Amino acid sequence: MKLRRIADKLKYHDLFIKMFSIMLISIIAVALSTWIVMFRMSEQVFIDTFSITNSKIMTQIKTSMENMNYAVSMTASNANTSGEIRRFLTSSQYTTIEELNSHYKVTQEMRRIQSTLATYPIAMVITGINGNRHATDTTIWPPTYKGLQEHSITKQTLTEPRKLHYQLDESTIDGKKNSEAVVVASKALVEQVSGDFYGVLYFAMKEAEFRKNYAGFTTKGNDVLLINSDGVVISSNLSERLGTKELELLNYAQLIDKQEDEYLNVEWNNRQHMILSAYMPNYDLYLVNLIDKRYVLSQMLNVKTVALLCVAIVIVSLIIVFIMSRRITRSLTLLARQMSRVTKRNFGNYITVKGSNEIVEVGKAYNLMLDELNEYIAELLKTQKEQRNAELSALQMQINPHFLYNTLASVKILVQQGNREKASATINALIELLQNTIGNASETITVEQELINLKNYVYINHVRYGESIHVSYFIDEQCHRAQLPKLIIQPFIENAFFHAFQGRSDGYIYVMISRNGGNLVCEVVDNGVGFEPIKLDQHIKSETSSHFFSGIGIRNVNDRIELLYGGSYGVNINSSTGKGTHITITIPFISAKDITKT
Amino acid sequence: MKKLLTILLASFMLLTACSSNSDKSTNTSNEGTNGGSTGKKQEITVWAWDKAFNIAAMETAKGIYAQKNADVTINVIENAQDDIIQKLNAGLNSGTTKTLPNIVLIEDYRAQSFLQAYPDSFFALDEFINAADFADYKIGPTSFEGKQYGVPFDSGVAGLYVRTDYLQEAGYTVDDLQDVTWDEYIEIGKAIKEKTGKDMLTQDPNDLGLIRMMIQSAGAWYLQEDGKTPFIANNAALEDAFNTYKNIMDANIVKVISDWSQFVGAFNSGDVASIPTGNWITASVKAEAEQSGKWAIVPFPTLANTASSVHASNLGGSSWYVMNVDGKEAAADFLKETFGSNVDFYQTLVTEIGAIGTLKAAAQGEAYTAPDEFFNGQTTIADLASWTEQIPNVNYGMHTYAVEDILVVEMQNFMNGTELETVLNNAQTQAETQIR
Repeated sequence: MKLRRIADKLKYHDLFIKMFSIMLISIIAVALSTWIVMFRMSEQVFIDTFSITNSKIMTQIKTSMENMNYAVSMTASNANTSGEIRRFLTSSQYTTIEELNSHYKVTQEMRRIQSTLATYPIAMVITGINGNRHATDTTIWPPTYKGLQEHSITKQTLTEPRKLHYQLDESTIDGKKNSEAVVVASKALVEQVSGDFYGVLYFAMKEAEFRKNYAGFTTKGNDVLLINSDGVVISSNLSERLGTKELELLNYAQLIDKQEDEYLNVEWNNRQHMILSAYMPNYDLYLVNLIDKRYVLSQMLNVKTVALLCVAIVIVSLIIVFIMSRRITRSLTLLARQMSRVTKRNFGNYITVKGSNEIVEVGKAYNLMLDELNEYIAELLKTQKEQRNAELSALQMQINPHFLYNTLASVKILVQQGNREKASATINALIELLQNTIGNASETITVEQELINLKNYVYINHVRYGESIHVSYFIDEQCHRAQLPKLIIQPFIENAFFHAFQGRSDGYIYVMISRNGGNLVCEVVDNGVGFEPIKLDQHIKSETSSHFFSGIGIRNVNDRIELLYGGSYGVNINSSTGKGTHITITIPFISAKDITKT
Repeated sequence: MKKLLTILLASFMLLTACSSNSDKSTNTSNEGTNGGSTGKKQEITVWAWDKAFNIAAMETAKGIYAQKNADVTINVIENAQDDIIQKLNAGLNSGTTKTLPNIVLIEDYRAQSFLQAYPDSFFALDEFINAADFADYKIGPTSFEGKQYGVPFDSGVAGLYVRTDYLQEAGYTVDDLQDVTWDEYIEIGKAIKEKTGKDMLTQDPNDLGLIRMMIQSAGAWYLQEDGKTPFIANNAALEDAFNTYKNIMDANIVKVISDWSQFVGAFNSGDVASIPTGNWITASVKAEAEQSGKWAIVPFPTLANTASSVHASNLGGSSWYVMNVDGKEAAADFLKETFGSNVDFYQTLVTEIGAIGTLKAAAQGEAYTAPDEFFNGQTTIADLASWTEQIPNVNYGMHTYAVEDILVVEMQNFMNGTELETVLNNAQTQAETQIR
């Protein structure tokens, strides 16, 4: 039930629902497509600009790194040529004073040499084959000399003595592994002329300081890594990557280097990255710049805000569209509802006119149409009634010529027989009958007059066919002045005369008119053969030349009564074979006075 | 539509009401700060160096203070000592207080150079702490013109850390090194070198800490009492110290080093039999757990030819200073409640960090009298604390490190055979021209 009610309700909102859903879909589609296109476009713009600016930045980083490397290698070469340092690292057999002196001097010498590195927080460390060593700042490196000789950094250095090796040492730092990791550049100290090895020189710089070469350029999602040829991360703003092997990145870097590409778009760490790389031959390191595209783009675009803005705009416009289309369709819906209430035959449902201008016009036009429709119907009814009356009167005029012929023939016989009296009476009855049927224009007549017509008709029939069929009249006193349509009883009497007594020489017909409450009841009863109700149609339709009227059948009587007084009145036929026929005509009781009054 | 409008209007009203409320609350808190009372959300910034020692001590203090004063936020920032000196100088020179912290740690040797140059930039703490509660020798560096500016923190009390096993091998006991002179120390050193082949101590030609300890034990310094006039020539204690230094070198019992890693490495690897230095080395000594039970701490040796020399001296040590900036009262209150008077707090410092404070009352605490298994059950803290009280009070003045730079060079000349008198006179002349 509920569902049906909802369905009914929805039926009237059909237009609104369609309109709104089209709007909804199109607004969302427009917003979404705009958003996507904008996103794609800005992504492209971003990638283009980013790759340009970042390759410039890479060049800058490279330059600053080269500068540092230049300072370091200059210092290294100074240290290599320093006699003081060579003596400190090679000589043995000292007295304490000499040793003190040597340590003092080497400290001064190291300080002097280190001055070329003054702009960088770099500690210099030297170790010699005689076991002597010195560090300018042990807070940086090394925390202890224990194991330095066997340290992988030292070993690596000795494999290629003339090369400056950049490596990361995070093995000996207590607790905080990454933040205190140290980048160590190492080089073997070798006698210039003889090529004899006499010590190792280390330049140590905290990775956090080393990082400052490029840290200014990095942001979240825009990271820099320095990777050596083994794939080990020597320095990075991504602290957690320090010291790990990133072979994948190394591959990309080498690929970029080989193909001389500007950049590569790769999937790294399950995220879309743009990767730029430059090889620094002096360091033997790859400078890798990783850009997390999605993240950086989201920083630039603030996807969330844009999305929220889009959603907000969509919602606001939807609300407006909802309200507007609701307003427009509501008057239409109302109109549709009111119109649908105009059921069959009920054209009085006028529409209350309100809403937008167009709707008002439609409503007005509709009401106007209803007006005209009602007018037309009234007119139509009137015409139909008139037509009917005309038809009836026409029918009444059409007195069967055979009847006249036969009646006149009977009168001729009477005259020939010399029965003048009877002949004149018959002529009189005929005249009176014709006068009442043709002459009287009014539709209804009083029971009295109808009775006269009936008697005249019966008299003529008696003259023609003999008086073996007796007709008796029982009229209620008060019914004499009652009105009834002309010639409604005559067809039944005629019917009884010609059909009820077939094969019999005599019979009775009773005509009874009485009042029953507000009704006038006319009954025609015969004691004839009767008939089966099924045969009624044929029976009534059959026409013979003896009939008074050529067109008025019994069926017409019923139609006429219904037309005049409504459906509750009419003719009731009760008949069965061998028992005769009982016909009851019921019409409203209207006295002649009433007629004249109205 | 009307409803919607009214709702919007109402929410605006509500918002403005809220914001005006919050304005009021911030105003009151600002007034609180300006008024000097312990206002709401006070933030104190502290600058210090050395994560394991000073920073750790400050964090402990922070924890204790936070229990009672939850509304004060203490923000400890770690910097290298040189950075702090630089930043402090920069801030004080520029005259703005914005960049300065509320509390800063300054080494005692340098303290006067700041206090005398910028007395108005520091906040006197006489109303918060009682100078007499602290070791006397700490008061000189931390006060200026009769006003107490610093809250004395760690004692740099010096001791002689010795390897008992090497002593034994050479036929000595710890008792033989108790209250000795440097001359006796050298003799024992020679014996040890002969028997075990180990050097007696390490020395860095660039660091004259040993000289400083020697002269302070005699109540002398590089500068006159005024803290400004160089006092190098005719400084008997300094002469004695220089001679003693040369004797030690001549005895061939020194392992020469030139950096901190070598210094620590030498005693950790068992290359030396003793370390004459400040007590803050204890943690580094104990770091080599294998040497547990092989160490003892004996009183600092005296200069044989200087009568005033006592068996107590100092090396390093620093103190907390409150800068004269907003929030100074809160900062002073914080120091008062912790470093200034809290005996229990000092017990925690000793047990957890090994930092010996200079609050006299703290020495009575339980932690101070506890024996240390690493040092064979010696009550090292109590011993060091008792020596602390005997440290002669000297005025480090403003130029300790400036003079030392000159002396390092002259010491080499002295070692190479130049007459002591010439060396010291040269140094005196140089110092007089450089300082001022």
